[in-house]
Amino acid sequence: MKPVLRLDTVCKRFGGVIAADNTSFSVLPGEIHGLIGPNGAGKSTLMNLISGIYTCDHGNIYFNEQDITQMPPYERARLGIGRTFQTPRFLQRSNIRDNLLLGTDLSNRFGYTSAFFGKKGDDFESELNKLMQYAGFSFDWDDDISGIPFGQRKLLEIVRSMLAHPKVILVDEPAAGLNNSEVDNVMKLLTVAAKERGIGILLIEHAMDLVMNFCEQIVVINFGKVIASGNPEEVSSNQDVIEAYLGRQRNAQN
Amino acid sequence: MLNNLIGLTVNGLAMGVVYALIAMGLILLVRAVGVMNFAQGDLFMLGAYLSFTFIVNIKLPYWLFVPASLISFAIVGLIFMAVTYWPLREASYPQAVIIATMGAGYVIKELAYKIWGPVALSMPALVINPETGTTKVLEIFGIKLQWQYVMIIAVCAVLIVLVFMLFEKLYAGRMMQATAQDKYAAELIGIPSVVTIAATYMLVTMVVSIGGYMVAPVFFISATLSSLQLRAFAGVVIGGFGNLKGAIIGSLIVGLIEAYATLQWSSYKDAVVFIVLIIVLIFRPQGLFGEKIADKA
Amino acid sequence: MKNFTIKKLKIRPATIIVFVVAMAFILLMPQVNSGYKMLCLNLTLIYAMVALSISIMLGMGGQMTFAGVTMMGVGGYFTANMTSGRLGFAIPTLPALLLAPLFTALVALALGLVLLRLRGTYFTFATIGLVQVAWSFYSMNKPAFGGYDGISGVPKLDLFGFVPADYNQWFYILAGGLVIVALIIERIRKTQFGRSLAAVRDNETAALTLGINVYITKVYAFAVAGAICGFAGALYAMMNRYISADTFTFDVGVRYIIMAMLGGVNNTIGCILGAVLIGMLPEWLRVLQGYMQFIYGIGIILLMIFMPMGLSGVFLTALKRYRKKKKIKLEHRASQTAAEKGEA
Repeated sequence: MKPVLRLDTVCKRFGGVIAADNTSFSVLPGEIHGLIGPNGAGKSTLMNLISGIYTCDHGNIYFNEQDITQMPPYERARLGIGRTFQTPRFLQRSNIRDNLLLGTDLSNRFGYTSAFFGKKGDDFESELNKLMQYAGFSFDWDDDISGIPFGQRKLLEIVRSMLAHPKVILVDEPAAGLNNSEVDNVMKLLTVAAKERGIGILLIEHAMDLVMNFCEQIVVINFGKVIASGNPEEVSSNQDVIEAYLGRQRNAQN
Repeated sequence: MLNNLIGLTVNGLAMGVVYALIAMGLILLVRAVGVMNFAQGDLFMLGAYLSFTFIVNIKLPYWLFVPASLISFAIVGLIFMAVTYWPLREASYPQAVIIATMGAGYVIKELAYKIWGPVALSMPALVINPETGTTKVLEIFGIKLQWQYVMIIAVCAVLIVLVFMLFEKLYAGRMMQATAQDKYAAELIGIPSVVTIAATYMLVTMVVSIGGYMVAPVFFISATLSSLQLRAFAGVVIGGFGNLKGAIIGSLIVGLIEAYATLQWSSYKDAVVFIVLIIVLIFRPQGLFGEKIADKA
Repeated sequence: MKNFTIKKLKIRPATIIVFVVAMAFILLMPQVNSGYKMLCLNLTLIYAMVALSISIMLGMGGQMTFAGVTMMGVGGYFTANMTSGRLGFAIPTLPALLLAPLFTALVALALGLVLLRLRGTYFTFATIGLVQVAWSFYSMNKPAFGGYDGISGVPKLDLFGFVPADYNQWFYILAGGLVIVALIIERIRKTQFGRSLAAVRDNETAALTLGINVYITKVYAFAVAGAICGFAGALYAMMNRYISADTFTFDVGVRYIIMAMLGGVNNTIGCILGAVLIGMLPEWLRVLQGYMQFIYGIGIILLMIFMPMGLSGVFLTALKRYRKKKKIKLEHRASQTAAEKGEA
């Protein structure tokens, strides 16, 4: 199968700090791909490189085998690279309707002039209803986004990114700060995205059990370098990984 | 021609150092409390008016004038802080403080109008020619310079150096920096943020007001004095936002551009300054002396 | 599980109240005022348009700009030049009124493409520079702007044969213009463009990852705001029949920002209210006229301290609280009746 997202020897340095060092890996459609590593390993930098907030110093990024290395971030998003943030980023002073429509706008760009004269995007209500089943809560359209709890906002951000019909979603620590049932719902949503819609998912997560249970493939980075990749068993038995990451955790537990 | 050029340079430098005083005040406030002060020009104007009262109305002798005016400037600074900053320090909306300074600008302008009247006042020069009653002319090597400009350059340059040393080299400046960056942490290591912020406000007002006093004999004292702050803004941006050295050099550049512009485009000297500002912004937004600010995602 | 539907059109009591008050204002004002008072009122309506243009840039897009006053000048001088015949030709007033916003939008587009490469405070400073540069040219350049003398002899607007005879008749035209501008802005708020702008305001990075071209969105907003200012400037030139650089100084620009902030920068009705307050208070409080600037200044500071979102912010918070209360009450009643049914 053709990878939906492929990084080829991507490099990025900030001053003297190497944030990405010849990083290569690829994400297949419908695959939940874990991206793990200790704090400061360069995970968020990779996210920013893929979504185009940073530009690569060297190397290439391919989306469906199309080179997008030089493409500005908004065009990448329009191609189908969705993203969520560690702390959800919404329109603080708007209601939920506008915030979710922001997601559908992405898949229905029809120019500002036609938008002004009342052209509407495709019918997204049924889609939304379906997704909210998995998200496990409901809300009032006209409520302020700031009025709903943090966990629900995180879920809502994933829903929003799915409303845009992306081909791949970059998910940054979706479980951080959520309670167990909310984490379950996050995973339900991501599984639906991957398995029913064939969306590739690149998942940064610190909760090891989640990553080990849900990801088919895992890539481990440290100091910007890929130190291991493969399925969960391979990764967790890799000596480098144990030393760099898991090992330290086990020591800490002892 | 050469004489003319030297004369223009002196004029330009004189205005430049005045702008530099205003600009330094702006930067210090931005650093200490993160506020762009749009009433800076009005404080500047108020300084000129207050000095006028002390010198012309009350006729204070110089040895009394200096402390009296400095104290009154400091008090103005304290009041300004108490009104525009203190109640708004927790404001959730960053523009609120800026708009409040605009409001304060209105109040100061109107106060000055009510107290000193609508007619522009003329302030006696520091060094007066006894025959004409106007500023004395200094003649070196056949070049005629107005004494007032020379005095402006001398006094303001000393002030600039003092303020620069205080903030960049001495402990007091580091205290203010620390307060600006993290109030809570600064208080933890024993720097009372209230005191440093109040001190900054007082010092800034004093410096700016002295600028107003120095420049008053060159212009008439009226509400239009406050518009000089726009040139100081230009200086700040050209030099590099948030950087004292840059602000000083940028302001000097603005003063010189303005002076030289009168050679060629006398009526467009304002435009020339701000066209330079826009060009600098477009090609070097961090300013001539600023460091490039990395985009933060 | 609840179903989500976008309601097509929902008219709330608040909307009706606003509409009724606005209609009453429009119909009543020319009946009870005349002459100079009416002129002030008319100017206020023009100010309101500029304040609304600021609401697009600052309220929706989060970009603090002083350029509104300059763009108003572009529209005004364009109209004056086109219609007064000083360039050797004169076009009819109605086409001029329609061309002015278009021309201003083009100018704003070109300027926006350059200035909006700057971000945040740097952009604000650049607009300050723009206002100063433009003002120098307005007041100094004789061929294009009439220099210090300005341009006089601008003909009155001829609206398909209706030529306003006095300020009272002008009022209806200006009120109509303001309503059109307000409706356009309300419409923008609900479209993709409005949402994009809001996203740019709240977080540029997030906006980029949502597929929004941040730069172009800001440039468009600047052009739309410019068009509105140009429209206001054209109307100003035709009503005043004279235009000069004093109207387009930096200080006047600050006033427009304050109007927008006073009413609530992200609220259409609020901006209009702010303009009316700043424009009309000196007239309504004649006694205090000598202290007006003073009152403004203190009022602005107090406003920033106690209600930084402006008058409309206070109103909207109260309204939301009321609606929430009502909703809770309704839900409570519903659950009660359900419980009663259950018992029965």
